[in-house]
Amino acid sequence: MTFVQVMIMATLALVIFLYGLMVNFQKWGTGVTGYNLEPQAGKKGSAITFLKTWWKQVTAESHHGHGILETLILDIVFQRRILKRSPFRWIMHLFIFGGWMTLFALSGMMFAVEMIEKIGIELPFTPDVFRDWLSIPNYIFGYILLIGVLIAIVRRLFVSEVREASITYDWVLIGVIFIVTISGFLADGIRTGLIWSFGLDPSAAPPAALFHSIFSLFFCIAFIPYSKYIHVIAIPLALLANKGGE
Amino acid sequence: MAKRTPSIDTKNLTAVQLMELDSCVRCGECVKWCPTYAASGGKPGLAPRDKILRWKQFMNKSYGFKAKIFGPQEIPQSELEEFKDDIYGCTTCGVCGTVCEAGINTVELWEALRTNLVKKGIGPYGKLGAIPKMIKQYHNAYMLDQKDRLAWVPADVKIADKADIVYFTGCTAGYKQLSLAFATSRVLNKLGVKFAMLGEDEWCCGSNPIRTGQIGYEQVAHEAARHNVEALKKKGAKKVLFACAGCFRAAKIDWPRLLGQELPFEVVHITQFLADLIKEDKIKWEKSINKTVTYHDPCHLGRHVGVFNAPRFVLSHIPGVKFVEMERSKEFQRCCGAGGGVKAGMGDLAVAIGEARVKDALETNADILSSACPFCKRNLSDGRDSLKAHIDVEDVIELVAEALGLSTT
Repeated sequence: MTFVQVMIMATLALVIFLYGLMVNFQKWGTGVTGYNLEPQAGKKGSAITFLKTWWKQVTAESHHGHGILETLILDIVFQRRILKRSPFRWIMHLFIFGGWMTLFALSGMMFAVEMIEKIGIELPFTPDVFRDWLSIPNYIFGYILLIGVLIAIVRRLFVSEVREASITYDWVLIGVIFIVTISGFLADGIRTGLIWSFGLDPSAAPPAALFHSIFSLFFCIAFIPYSKYIHVIAIPLALLANKGGE
Repeated sequence: MAKRTPSIDTKNLTAVQLMELDSCVRCGECVKWCPTYAASGGKPGLAPRDKILRWKQFMNKSYGFKAKIFGPQEIPQSELEEFKDDIYGCTTCGVCGTVCEAGINTVELWEALRTNLVKKGIGPYGKLGAIPKMIKQYHNAYMLDQKDRLAWVPADVKIADKADIVYFTGCTAGYKQLSLAFATSRVLNKLGVKFAMLGEDEWCCGSNPIRTGQIGYEQVAHEAARHNVEALKKKGAKKVLFACAGCFRAAKIDWPRLLGQELPFEVVHITQFLADLIKEDKIKWEKSINKTVTYHDPCHLGRHVGVFNAPRFVLSHIPGVKFVEMERSKEFQRCCGAGGGVKAGMGDLAVAIGEARVKDALETNADILSSACPFCKRNLSDGRDSLKAHIDVEDVIELVAEALGLSTT
């Protein structure tokens, strides 16, 4: 039953995400296709217009010689623009980004193994064995993410210039990641009975895992196009369009 | 009931620029570096990230998720007016783009937003609206007679009727800051460089209307680009020299874009030209300056086009010059405060920014604050005078003229 519930929720989250992404693409697509132009009268925003304009800019010649591959590796993955400005903030962001993306990938792999088993394809290991294999990398990257999130929270609370400039838009982002990270540790801790179990009965493990999964699905996937999370899509696209920026 | 129409539109804003609004994570780097925000005493509306946030909110109210379901939400005219005031409180220096972690091309964004507001009838700010009209009528922003374009030329300066090299003076050097024009022409003569000038065929480069969002005003910027390029071609130009960073930027970036084609000549700043001559050992200095000199990068020469080294190379080769850098230099330089229509539209703000830049220079204990743009020279001089500071403000070309034993008056 739990698996079916999660599958339904995952599908729903994906649909909400895709719809939101389409709304954003259409919103961006209300823009013009080049310098000093005006939109055609009566034409609504179109995702195709956005994608075509973006691609045209991505493939245009770079005036400072930065190629797509360099931008992809150094600016998007390595995030050198943040490093240049603030090594401390770069560590914070890289921890959140690295922890997040790796946990997302590991969860995806776990999901794939469970799906393969459900459709009857035999693997040399069971999903439970695979889950055990993933437990150490899950812990490592979970802690990396947690450290990054804690740094972000401490900065927003105790660095006056950051605190004073923070608005709900900023707080929601950090709050959601914090809840997802903590609920993940709790769900796993209750299941294993190790640290993070806080003495809770193992029977609470399935609902804790369900809460973590559904909260993650809705607030880390479905919520992306409707919140500050949109930057995880918009920044790489902007960096590619501007060849890594000035 | 008729469905409401959005309070804003997307004229001049590209699809990529609209996406860039959503890529801002409000990290605050732009706020730390913005010269107008600092000079205003931290007026929140002038912070680049705040402008991005507000236009993003306007976009969401007009074209976002809720607008799609419930219809666009009205944006009060007062909010748009306030936004206009803030978007014009920017020198378009571009340091926000240099430090932006999301790589947003902010200069293009500010200019597109200004143009959008002008088309909507909300912009431009204050008296800036008069400038394109003056350029249209007089072909310069000072309402002076085109016939006087060469009135400044002293008897000792030799100008060829046609030449491979043409010196594009610019309105400010040609009408207002004559010492720069004297220096440039005499230096070229002294170095044996045969050059021509456009005279009354030289029109305003179009920089002001472009920077202030008035690019669409009766095609004035397009006409300026078209006319100047044709006039330069007629003079036989293979290389066009600029001693004004604003005109240089306009010719280098804006003219080809407005005309939709590459220019049939090379666009060169005078400091680049001189640096090449120094490398070829073609300059024989006659005088030693014996002063400590610092250099202010004009935004239009440095950050906008990428010419950082040539002026420094020239200065460091002038005999007797001890060259020192300010803490904020090259791509991280602090704007002088004159650009983007701020000098013409918000004089007090411009002087406050100029003061901050002069203070940067004073920290180096330099005797001379040099630059390579008549507009920078003017506003830095105003900032210096306002502070009653003891530092000379001179253009690189004036120092070169002095070291070659030439008069700039």
